[in-house]
Amino acid sequence: MPGLGTTFGRGGATTAQQDLANADAILIMGSSMAENHPVGFQWVIEAREKSGAKIIHVDPRFNRTSAMADYWLPLRAGSDIVFLGAMINYTLANDRWFRDYVIPYTNASTILREDFVDTEDLGGLFSGWDPEKKQYDSETWLYDGASAKSEGTQPGMHENSGGHGKDRSGEAQNLDHPRRDETLQHPRCVFQVMKRHFARYTPRMVEEVCGIPAERFIEVADIFTAASGREKTAAICYAVGWTQHSTGVQTIRAAAILQLLLGNIGRPGGGIMALRGHASIQGSTDIPTLYDILPGYLPMPMHDAESAGDLAAYIKKNRSPKGWWYNLDKYIVSLLKAYYGDAATPENDFGFEWLPRLTGDHSYFGYWLDMADGALEGLFVMGQNPAVGSPNGKLERKALTKLKWLVVRDLVETETATFWKKEEDCDTEVFFFPAASHVEKAGTFTNTQRMLQWREQAVEPPGEARSELSFMIELGKMMKARATELNRDAPLRALAWDYADDDADQVLREIHGKSRDGAIKHFGELKNDGSTSCGCWIYSGVYDGENKALKREPRGRYGHGWGYAWPLDRRILYNRASAAPDGTPWSERKKLVWWDEAKGEWGGDDIPDFTRGKRPDFAGDESRGGDEALRGDAPFIMHPDGVGWLWVASGLKDGPLPSHYEPLESNLPNAVHPRQQSNPASNRMERPDNAYASSPDARFPYVLTTYRLTEHHTSGAMSRTLSHLAELQPELFAEISPELAKEVGVANGDVIKISSARAEIEARALVTGRMPSLDVQGRRVHQVGLPYHFGGNGLVTGDVVNDLLAISEEPNVRIMEAKALTCDVRRKC
Amino acid sequence: MKATEERLDELRRQAERTGRVDAKGIRAAGAPLPEPGAEHGYYGLPLLKPPVWTWEIPLYFFVGGAAGASAMIAVAAQVSGADETLVRDARRIAALGAVISTPLLISDLGRPERFLNMLRVFKPRSPMSVGAWTLAAFGTLTGATVLADELQRRTDLPLTFVSNAAGAGAALSGLGMATYTGVLLGATAIPVWAENVNMLPIHFAASAVASASSLLELCGHQHRALPLLASGAAAYEVYATREVARSGVTSTALKAASLLSGPIPLALRLLGIRSKRARRAAALASLAGSLITRFAWVEAGKVSARDPRVPLGLM
Amino acid sequence: MTTTGFLTDSTLCIGCKACEVACKEWNDVPDDGFLWSGLSYDNTLTLGASSWRHVKFVEHQPRTGCGGNAPGHSTWQFSSDVCKHCGNAGCLEACPTGSIVRTEFGSVYVQPDVCNGCGYCVVACPFGVIDRRPDDGRAFKCTFCYDRQKAGMEPACAKACPTGSILFGDLDKLQRRGEERVEQLHAAGMDDASLYNPTDTSVGGIHAMFLIRGDSRAYNLPPKPEVPTTLLPRAWTAAGIGAAAMVIGSLAAFAMCGSGRSAKR
Ligand SMILES: Nc1nc2c(c(=O)[nH]1)N[C@H]1C(S)=C(S)[C@@H](COP(=O)(O)OP(=O)(O)OC[C@H]3O[C@@H](n4cnc5c(=O)[nH]c(N)nc54)[C@H](O)[C@@H]3O)O[C@H]1N2
Ligand SMILES: Nc1nc2c(c(=O)[nH]1)N[C@H]1C(S)=C(S)[C@@H](COP(=O)(O)OP(=O)(O)OC[C@H]3O[C@@H](n4cnc5c(=O)[nH]c(N)nc54)[C@H](O)[C@@H]3O)O[C@H]1N2
Ligand code: SF4
Ligand code: SF4
Ligand code: SF4
Ligand code: SF4
Ligand code: SF4
Ligand SMILES: [Mo]
Repeated sequence: MPGLGTTFGRGGATTAQQDLANADAILIMGSSMAENHPVGFQWVIEAREKSGAKIIHVDPRFNRTSAMADYWLPLRAGSDIVFLGAMINYTLANDRWFRDYVIPYTNASTILREDFVDTEDLGGLFSGWDPEKKQYDSETWLYDGASAKSEGTQPGMHENSGGHGKDRSGEAQNLDHPRRDETLQHPRCVFQVMKRHFARYTPRMVEEVCGIPAERFIEVADIFTAASGREKTAAICYAVGWTQHSTGVQTIRAAAILQLLLGNIGRPGGGIMALRGHASIQGSTDIPTLYDILPGYLPMPMHDAESAGDLAAYIKKNRSPKGWWYNLDKYIVSLLKAYYGDAATPENDFGFEWLPRLTGDHSYFGYWLDMADGALEGLFVMGQNPAVGSPNGKLERKALTKLKWLVVRDLVETETATFWKKEEDCDTEVFFFPAASHVEKAGTFTNTQRMLQWREQAVEPPGEARSELSFMIELGKMMKARATELNRDAPLRALAWDYADDDADQVLREIHGKSRDGAIKHFGELKNDGSTSCGCWIYSGVYDGENKALKREPRGRYGHGWGYAWPLDRRILYNRASAAPDGTPWSERKKLVWWDEAKGEWGGDDIPDFTRGKRPDFAGDESRGGDEALRGDAPFIMHPDGVGWLWVASGLKDGPLPSHYEPLESNLPNAVHPRQQSNPASNRMERPDNAYASSPDARFPYVLTTYRLTEHHTSGAMSRTLSHLAELQPELFAEISPELAKEVGVANGDVIKISSARAEIEARALVTGRMPSLDVQGRRVHQVGLPYHFGGNGLVTGDVVNDLLAISEEPNVRIMEAKALTCDVRRKC
Repeated sequence: MKATEERLDELRRQAERTGRVDAKGIRAAGAPLPEPGAEHGYYGLPLLKPPVWTWEIPLYFFVGGAAGASAMIAVAAQVSGADETLVRDARRIAALGAVISTPLLISDLGRPERFLNMLRVFKPRSPMSVGAWTLAAFGTLTGATVLADELQRRTDLPLTFVSNAAGAGAALSGLGMATYTGVLLGATAIPVWAENVNMLPIHFAASAVASASSLLELCGHQHRALPLLASGAAAYEVYATREVARSGVTSTALKAASLLSGPIPLALRLLGIRSKRARRAAALASLAGSLITRFAWVEAGKVSARDPRVPLGLM
Repeated sequence: MTTTGFLTDSTLCIGCKACEVACKEWNDVPDDGFLWSGLSYDNTLTLGASSWRHVKFVEHQPRTGCGGNAPGHSTWQFSSDVCKHCGNAGCLEACPTGSIVRTEFGSVYVQPDVCNGCGYCVVACPFGVIDRRPDDGRAFKCTFCYDRQKAGMEPACAKACPTGSILFGDLDKLQRRGEERVEQLHAAGMDDASLYNPTDTSVGGIHAMFLIRGDSRAYNLPPKPEVPTTLLPRAWTAAGIGAAAMVIGSLAAFAMCGSGRSAKR
């Protein structure tokens, strides 16, 4: 989550769902939290009930979340940055920002280079755009006087890397002594540049682009910004209604900027709650299933001239001189020790050479297109159902036919396992392995608020079903047994694969780490000399003496003692910011962590996200480097300058500040920057089997958005097969407004056809005022909403909504645009 | 558990075979949605559950009613010293009715093998319980009457007292048989039944009397009391029809039933007093009317349960 | 044993249907058909033999700027319906087998091993709750999780409810709590909030109360439910009249016509 990572230093939710109960206002946008995170939503209700917090929901549809909110503003899908930009503008223009917080805790005062040119002056582009390579060079975005750390492309800007490495951010440049103007008057200081940048984002513009009446916007902006400051805090919750856009990361950035300006980060009832999806999706970025990072957000080494090299070069390139990432060397060496055990020695660079290298875009869609072109021989699909869940389903299913073999491990026979039944001409050999479900095996989930919770095995798996762990252990053993003497098998030979069968506990202990001499308490004890090993440094601490993920003894306001939140069981990140620079709480009502002079350490209701003994007036010891070099009033400890970044100088591929662009398919011109229709850095991956409608396109006059229903889960493999769930939403429907229904001559319950440039599907029409038509730029815009849970197998079946979608890549995380595209609707005759 | 799994298996098989599960896709009326509200309740959906009874129950109402009235007629005939064959036939009809009634009632139970659970308790507050006991008593007594009759005829045993006493008891329970079904329907939550609670037991009694006397007439008995009784019942039905119509209950079946039980047989009997064929026709009409009446009332109950306006007080 | 009850607070309900699913899961209730209704997000539509909890989606046209929580705008009100466990239960009164009993918790419980499927409870329930399952033949409805309560646990639906919309506990306390909540909501400007508990009718109060906004009729909750047993005196009187008429009528008819000419032809 580079939106949060670049701004604050870590790519995870800054807060815990329980803490939402302490908020004075909550903005839920880009998520239907009540439907998709119903258990966490209880704390939103608690805030509403206990302290009268105002709940604001901004969503194209009136859904179960809107029904619980005080305000619901329907917006046109894909226009969020205009709304948030206008919130930022409103905050600045009406002096609602929290000055005493912003000046010391953000880079507002940092002065930027003279040669930076904003979108205002370049027709929607930032300076540094290379039209040939279709990417930015971020040189001009750097701080004044700061030099790019290494020659060539900065790590986060490399075309082969995704943005996940940037979840940590901050290694891009020397930020030891940025020039600052604490009066914020300097025309090139971040604050002034930002003020000018967002000046265009007015309530009028919100009305024009989002379709939200200006006075409604102002009402809500007033409520949200007034619920922030010393005495109050407001929180923002989002999920994939924000991320699944060609501008997803920048949307989250806009929210992050807003929360920094309002002083809502690191404080109780504040923060940004990134609501994550699958049960352990946070876990699968921490210990990644992603191609461009290693466990604990260590970047994946590259295989090209400029990044090639040994461990020392890797460390030099990726380590920060100041701030927490100074410790990167300890973490990578300990990780290599965990991987290769005794085979990893100082002499052989701890086996750094054995790590795979990025040789190109190995992102999800990248390899899927390669597969479609016949470049892939085999594929393991484990715990995923791409035939239904992934965009351009048709193309994905076609691509599967080009494989020689496919292994599917799942609880049920998914559409991905049975795709061949509907494809002519398919030679793919499919192996289906039954998988044990979460109740049939032990292990941890890392939930949306970075908390690891261990669950015991409740029942034995049926039949031949087995856990991932036992499968992978055995697969690994088999592969090792077949390793040849060839050089390419060296990593396989070196791999320490000494697992006993199906024992998740041993894995958690490996993740926690150890030293040559015995146990370690947490990552603070990791070394760069090979004397320690650790499978994922951020998790280190979870097995300090006992399995803390297994603990179920909550105490205190934040339930410490129940599970274990990384890092070091801190529940609210950057919580040093809950106290003023001098270490005293901003207010009695909102105190969380403060400096206890008597004890000479930080204390409070949460575990300080700060070096315990570092005094608030500590000036930073430049000579020591790392965390020691940061001041006592620098709460954002991952960043080399210790502050939150309103301005991201490097690491985001589509600009240092958010800017509105229309979705890749849109019938409306970009009202903010008419010359730049869509995000220039995003990748359309256009090809005949991944065609796009033009913008505008008379064939596809309506906006299409997709979403979830509480009653089903994602591709439906786990819900369409269970009668208790399937009967609750037994058929695919499309939500359309009464106005659109009239226009296309459709009655509630009719079967309709929905088509895009890729495909056509059928669904029932659910005609409802919950899906309103909007006035946007003088036109009436109709939106069509489709839940995407249906497919061909199971108790209830339906067409695959994802056949309508295009494969596309947001530049930073390479996610598809699933929330805003164009379509046509007509009655089935 | 078993039912669930089997059903699921069945659905899975179907899904596998055809790729779809049939039992879905009803068409909602109107666009946009009918809004729930004070005017039509929750999307106009039924508030009450319709009776689950199938054809056996109204048929049982008819048979049981006719049998019950027949037992009463037997006593009246006997007391008035009427022909023995009339008494015997009336008793036989009663007994036969009881014999037919029981399987009808049982077969409509969801769990027929548990019929005897009906006699587990006696609950005066439950018309169904009262009815079950009444049927049990009626069956026993009519059986005893006929048995005593037959034994006496074949063996000359002195059983007159027994058969008469049993006959009297059968008549008493027969009164229950003819009327309790009206209570059974009337004392429910189903609006059209509950609204007509004052009338239904009498209505059913009249209809039972009409069918019993009609049956005896059709057996060839020409006692003048029979057409008289039938005419009286038909006359009441004419009155009842007006009452029912006034309470707003309309259904073709009920209208047909009313015509067949009231005006038609009455007219035939009054106008064709001398004609055998008219009497036969009248008897047949009464029987048909009585039968259809029970079906129509059960059906009206089903229709009525579907309309949420009455229980919601919207009418 | 104290009498236990439910207070289902619609203002806290998010319509997630976890209660429906938990009930089915715990009690092993089979599916109720895979029918898409087209009526809001409600495909369960009613309580029945195989749906013991039912979340209603009372929907009105939403208006920009107002979420469902705004005073005067109950735009999408969710309400989880369940058997009312009536103080005077029509189903219990009507049951001829004694299958339906009142438990030590004050709830109304159908003993599945006694029910013979006569179907009389179905027409005796003024709330349209209990029904006969066609394939099984017996009548089913919410058991108030008698087995769980016996074991000192709360009902499955209440346990699963993430928002505290389904409160379970001592009936009297819940009644008071419901009244307080109504006051609280009124103070917050939601003057259309009320507690649905027909104490002033023959039903004599229900053990599953509902806190709702707006007109109870929009939820298919009858304003004046009556137990059908109240009709018994009238019904039996009519039956008495009918019987008397039969006795008098037949005796009189035969008396009038004497013994004459009754022989079979
Ligand atoms: N019951 C249930 N819970 C789930 C899941 C499930 O399938 N079922 N899935 C899990 C997973 S994997 C995830 S990732 C999360 C996702 O959780 P959510 O992000 O809440 O899921 P969605 O329903 O896809 O989208 C949220 C909302 O975004 C709105 N939306 C669409 N386009 C836009 C837009 O342009 N701007 C704004 N502001 N809103 C827009 C949609 O109308 C929808 O209400 O949920 C998790 N929880
Ligand atoms: N149009 C559109 N498309 C979308 C989205 C959208 O909002 N709109 N959302 C996207 C998002 S956020 C997501 S997360 C994806 C989800 O898409 P997928 O991940 O493809 O869909 P799931 O149904 O969650 O697939 C999970 C599979 O794992 C299986 N499973 C569960 N537990 C286990 C286990 O322990 N072991 C194994 N081996 N298998 C297991 C399940 O049975 C299921 O088949 O969909 C994406 N696609
Ligand atoms: S399904 Fe699991 S993760 Fe999702 S809301 Fe329910 S309890 Fe939470
Ligand atoms: S609501 Fe109906 S089923 Fe439930 S106790 Fe009352 S009468 Fe019986
Ligand atoms: S169906 Fe069962 S529970 Fe209902 S009244 Fe008959 S015996 Fe009692
Ligand atoms: S109390 Fe038990 S049986 Fe009744 S609805 Fe709740 S879970 Fe179902
Ligand atoms: S579980 Fe609770 S919140 Fe969810 S639908 Fe049921 S009552 Fe409402
Ligand atoms: Mo997700």
